[in-house]
This record gives sequence, structure tokens and C-alpha cells, in this order.
Amino acid sequence: MNTLLSAGLILLLGFVGARLLKYVRLPSVTAFLIVGILIGPHILNIVTEEIFTASDFFSNLVLGIIAFSLGENFRLEEIKKGMKQIMWISFIAAFGTWVLVSAALLIYFVIVKVPIYPAIVLGAAASATAPAATVLVIREYRASGLLTEFLLKVVAIDDAWCLIFAALAIAFANAMRAEVFQISIIFAGLGEIFGALIIGAILGHIFSFLNRFVKTSEEFLVYIFGFILLNVGLSIAINVSVLLSSMMMGLVVINLARENYKFFEMLRTVDAPLYLVFFILAGAHLDFSILYKMGIVGLLYIIFRVIGKVYGAKIGAKISNAPKPIENWLGLSLTPQAGVALGIGLVAKSTFPEFGNYIFTVIAATTVIFELIGPLLTKFSLMKVGEIASTE
Amino acid sequence: MHQLNSIFGLAVIIITGYFGAKLLRKIHFPAVTAYLLIGILIGPRLLNLVPLKIINFSDFISNFVLGVIAFSLGANFTLKDMKAAGKPVIWISVLEASFAWIIVTIVMVIYFLLNGMAIHPSFVLGAAAAATAPAATVMVIREYRARGIVTDMLLRVVAIDDAWCLIFSALAITFATAIGSGSFNSLVIIRSLIEILASLLFGGILGFGFHYFSRFVKTKEELLIVTVGFIFLVVGLSIKLHLSPLLTSMVSGVVIANVSKDSTLFFEILREVDPILFLCFFILVGANLEIGLIPEIGIIGLLYIVFRVIGKFVGVKIGAWKSHADAKIGKYLAWGLVPQAGVALGVALSAKALYPEYGGMIFTTITATTVIYELVGPLCAKYGLQKAGEI
Repeated sequence: MNTLLSAGLILLLGFVGARLLKYVRLPSVTAFLIVGILIGPHILNIVTEEIFTASDFFSNLVLGIIAFSLGENFRLEEIKKGMKQIMWISFIAAFGTWVLVSAALLIYFVIVKVPIYPAIVLGAAASATAPAATVLVIREYRASGLLTEFLLKVVAIDDAWCLIFAALAIAFANAMRAEVFQISIIFAGLGEIFGALIIGAILGHIFSFLNRFVKTSEEFLVYIFGFILLNVGLSIAINVSVLLSSMMMGLVVINLARENYKFFEMLRTVDAPLYLVFFILAGAHLDFSILYKMGIVGLLYIIFRVIGKVYGAKIGAKISNAPKPIENWLGLSLTPQAGVALGIGLVAKSTFPEFGNYIFTVIAATTVIFELIGPLLTKFSLMKVGEIASTE
Repeated sequence: MHQLNSIFGLAVIIITGYFGAKLLRKIHFPAVTAYLLIGILIGPRLLNLVPLKIINFSDFISNFVLGVIAFSLGANFTLKDMKAAGKPVIWISVLEASFAWIIVTIVMVIYFLLNGMAIHPSFVLGAAAAATAPAATVMVIREYRARGIVTDMLLRVVAIDDAWCLIFSALAITFATAIGSGSFNSLVIIRSLIEILASLLFGGILGFGFHYFSRFVKTKEELLIVTVGFIFLVVGLSIKLHLSPLLTSMVSGVVIANVSKDSTLFFEILREVDPILFLCFFILVGANLEIGLIPEIGIIGLLYIVFRVIGKFVGVKIGAWKSHADAKIGKYLAWGLVPQAGVALGVALSAKALYPEYGGMIFTTITATTVIYELVGPLCAKYGLQKAGEI
């Protein structure tokens, strides 16, 4: 199997899989993940080593594109209109989940008499959501309406909350474990956020300044990919959040000039194959054997994460007087979990020698579940409020 | 040296390529040439800004991009067009390829005889001279939105002369072996004929398969996924089966252009995404160019460069005259055939493997002249099309 052939099969099988699973009303994201599992190393082993080594590259690129596109939803006039609600909902949905999952696990750890600090980190990971899967479901079913608008904004900014919580959680957990409170961890977390916002804002300005040189539609794509890659590459090089910097760049670009929406449109016409490959590779990486190790902790995590999201969003919506459909259904649509949570798991793995690996395993195992079920729940919520035209 | 992360590396490629091409446009350089120069500049020999991980993907990208180009070239061979243009295309391509072959070979034989060297490398060098570079030519045509009879004919000629080049190189290798060892091994010729026929057949089958399969495609997003996936599949399978990816991709493009009612959709969607692929492709070609070989070009290289071009011009002239093509074609088309790239290098690689003693010399000559042709070729193509009034 050479790499070109493997790439061809990934694309074509992804297409066929999505088409077939449409008959049982599964969203494409789920279909891609399932195809990925099938052709991954555990079963058919069609994905070559070379493609596997490029997975990281690919997922960073795709997350950069997603986050950049999400930035488009933050036009200033819209922010002025509904930002208070978005802030409340995203904050409480994230914070509530953190607190709830941490509390549940804390109680469990106390009962079974193991160290309790992993509970705090696991809770922080639970607050993360998955912009890519969410966006793809919305796009596939051409969902539009109030819930869709809120959802796009909430998944975009709750990653910022999640990063703050993760930094706090790791600092607290470290304090409990080693009995020294390292304020530097919190600063590092804040630095990661502000650094990302600054980079994204600077590149967004440069983007908007230089785009006067872009003349033909063929150049659009080259230009936009160049900048997204530059932004992602820089963010990785100086260790700030790729998602936030890309989102910030998108936000700045759309606000600096109205006609910049063309760039977002252009991106949408070509990004489909990238998403497909991204999710198929994500599926190929899913490790099912890890599910056996999940245990009760994993189950508690899953249950309380969903409760946290549903009720967190509900409370946030109530406080900020958001419309009823948002109050009732936004939380459920936030259930997908993916890379951001895994990222926290990776940090934990390197920070806590004794329990880091355990934390990572729980996050990875629950991610397997949420990756597969999350998109279905997002689709379900959007259908319930009537923002997806009937697919029948 | 500290390596950039690959994403950053790719960003450097795209951004320097983009702005570099804009800058060099001011002095009327085609984008291809600009990309190659930038590739040389940021490549491992000079600034070393391209991470190794990306360089390692060069083969993958170049095979895919050549597949995209060959597939797109297939669109120029609809039956309707070929009724009118079939004869000149065949005549011109056969003659320009064989004249380049014969003239370069004769000159080399004479030179080698005068210097008391073995003459058989000259056949292989001549065969490599028959090849052209579809990618560079297509890029120039696209960039300047050239259109007209010369452009149309050029697109067809660069598409099929690779087939001739494959036949010639098989013949040349057979001759060279026969002269070198005194035994005539017709196996090489038969094998390459099989390679060509099998490529045509296989490309045809895949083209029909794709045509059938494509009825399931509904949205534009799916169209892109399926088209790109298909080209990967064709190229990947061709490599696996030791067929010519250029020919298989082209034939599947021809089949689709002829049997599918909405064939233009496939070619159009590719055109939307390929500028970025071309950019990466040519920058990587530049980064991989062995510019260090230029001083080693020697007299052999110079003769090769001069007589290859002469062969192309004479061949086109005679071919156009024989087939009663428009005078403009006879006059200007050959300029577009000056670029030389991967196909010639492929011939050089097989020569290197076959003749341990002379293979190195053949390979160096072809690689070094390719550097020159890659850089000068697009300028020539642009010049010719301008003269013909099609830019």
C-alpha cells in the first residue's frame, strides 16, 4: 500500500461510508469516525505509516481552519447584541461542568480512598467541547436559527474558559499533591490565552492589510491558507493556543472589512475533504481497548459532564434571559468532546508522574464515547428546535 | 540546525511563494519560475527553511499534482475536437519528440566518437530529450489565461508526447544495451509497450468506473472529495502496478471528458483548488533542484540543451507542415515544449540503474540540464504564446 493509494481510499471510503450511514441517519462526522476505525491499524490497516505521522500536522491545520471560520460569527454588531448571553452561557456551562464532574469524582475518590487531586483536572477537561464536530454537524444539515447561532459562538469561546480552568486545575492539583502552590502554572495558562489572542489579532491585521494584493479568486485560497498555516505554526512554535489564535484572527479579519467575508466563503468551498480526512484519522487513532480501563470513573465523568453541560447552559440562559430554545437545548448540543480535552490529558500526563497516565486514559476513553455520541446529540438538539430541515 | 515545525514550514512555502511570485511578476517572470527560484532560495542548500518532514513529502505531492495535471489535460481530448485536431496533434508530437531524440543522439554520438568515448549513452540522452514538462507549460498557460489555436494544440501535444518519450526511452535503452553488450534484448521494448498499453487500458477502466460512481455525488463538497480521491487512487494504483501515472490519469480524464455529460464540473472543481497545489509542487521542485550540478554541465550538457531545442523546433515545423496545421502553430508551438522536468529525470533514473559505468554521467547531464530548462522553459513558453498573440 503506497501513501497515494491510501489517501485515495481514505477519501473515497469516507464518501461511501457517509453516504451509506446516511440511510440510518448518522451524521457524516460519525460516519467518518466509524470508517476511520474500520480502516485504522486495529482492523483493516489501510492507513499507511506516512499518513499516520502526518496526523498531527493535519489536525492542527484543520482546527486552525475551523477556529478561523468560527471567528466569522463574531461581528462587532452581533457581539454588541448578544455577547452578554454568550458569555454567561459559555461560562456557566463550562464552569458548572468542571465543578460538577470534579465534585462527583472527588466523592468517589474519597470513598475508594485514592488521592483526590486527579478529580480536579478531570473536571477541567470535562468543560471542553469540540468545535470541529459541532461545526460539521451544523454544516451538513444546513442548520440555521437561533440555537445554531448561539452554539457556534459558545463552542468558539468556551475553549478559552476551558484553558483557564485547566491551568487553575493543574495548579490546584499540584498544590494538593506536592503541597506547593505554583502560581506560575496559572500565569502560564493565562499567557497561553493572551499570547494566542495577541498573535491572532496581529496576524488578522496583517492579513487584512495585505489582502489588497489579492486579485484573482485563485489567489484567495493560496493567501488564506498561507495565513492560517502561519498563524497555527507560530502558535505552536511559541506554545499558545492554536484554537484561540485562529479564532481571533478570523474575528479581526471579519471586523476589519466587510468584504472579507469572501475569504470565509472561499474556505468553505474547499474544506470538505480536509474535514473528512481529519475525522477519519481521528477515528483511526481511536483506541477501543482503552474503554475497558475506563471503569466507574469514566462512567461518572460521562454522566456528570452531560448533566453539567445541560444544566450549566440552562442556568446561564436563565440568568441572561436568553430565549427558551437556547435554555432547553443548547447544553445537549455541547456534548462532543475531542482534542482540547485530550490536550489537557497530555499536560496532566507530563505533570503528574503517578496519576497522570490514569487521568489521560480516562479522558481518552470518554473522548471515544463522546466523539461517537456527541454529534448525534448535537443533531438531535438542532432537530428538536426545528433548525434542521427535515432530513427524511 | 533548529528545524521549524512543519506547519510553519508550509506557511513559509506558501507565503514566500505567493508574495515572491507577485514581486517577480513586476519583471515579467511567470509564477512557475518565481516558485522555482523561491524554492531554491528557501530550500536546504540555501536558507534551509523547508523542514525535512515536508521535503520527505515531495514525492507524494509531486505524484499527486502530476496526476491532477494529467487528468485535467485529458479534458482537451474530446472526440469532437479530435476529429479536427487529431492529425496535427499526432504528427506534431511524434515529430517533435523523435527529432529531439534523433538530433540529440546524433550530436552526442559524434561528440563521443571524437573524444574516443563509448557511444551508447547518447541514445538514452536523446530519448530523455524527447520529454517535455506538462506541469510548467500548463501553469504558464493558466497564469496568463492564454487562449487560441496554439494554446489548444500545445496542451494536447504536451499531454501525449510523454507516451512517445516512454517508447523512445525503451527503444534507446535497448539499443544502448545492444551496442554495449552486443546482444539485442527486445524484452525492454516489449515491456515498455505493455506498460503503455496497460496504462491506457487501466486509465480507461478507472475512468469508466469513476463515471459510473460519480452519479452518487450530489453536492459540490462531495464532488471535490470524490474527484481528489479518485486522482489519488489512480496515481496510487498506477505506481503500485508499475504503470505510468501520467498516462493513466490522462486517459481517465479523456474518458470522463467524453462519456460524462457534466464532465466540466470535475475539471472546474480541480481548477478551484489546484493553484495552491501547483505552488507547493514547484517550490518543492525548486527546493529539490540540484543547483550544485550546474557547473558540471560541461560540453555534453550544452550540446544537449542546444540540440534538444533545435530538435523540437524542426519537429514542430515539419509536423505542422505535414498535417496542414495553421502556420502560427508551426512557428510558435515549439517554444512551449522547451520545459523539461520529471519525465526526463525518470529516464535518467532508469539509465542510472542500468549502466553503472555511464549512468552517473547520463544522470548528471539530464539533471543539470533540467535545472536550466526548468528555469528558462517557462519564460520560453510565455514568449512563444505572446508572439502567437494568445496572451
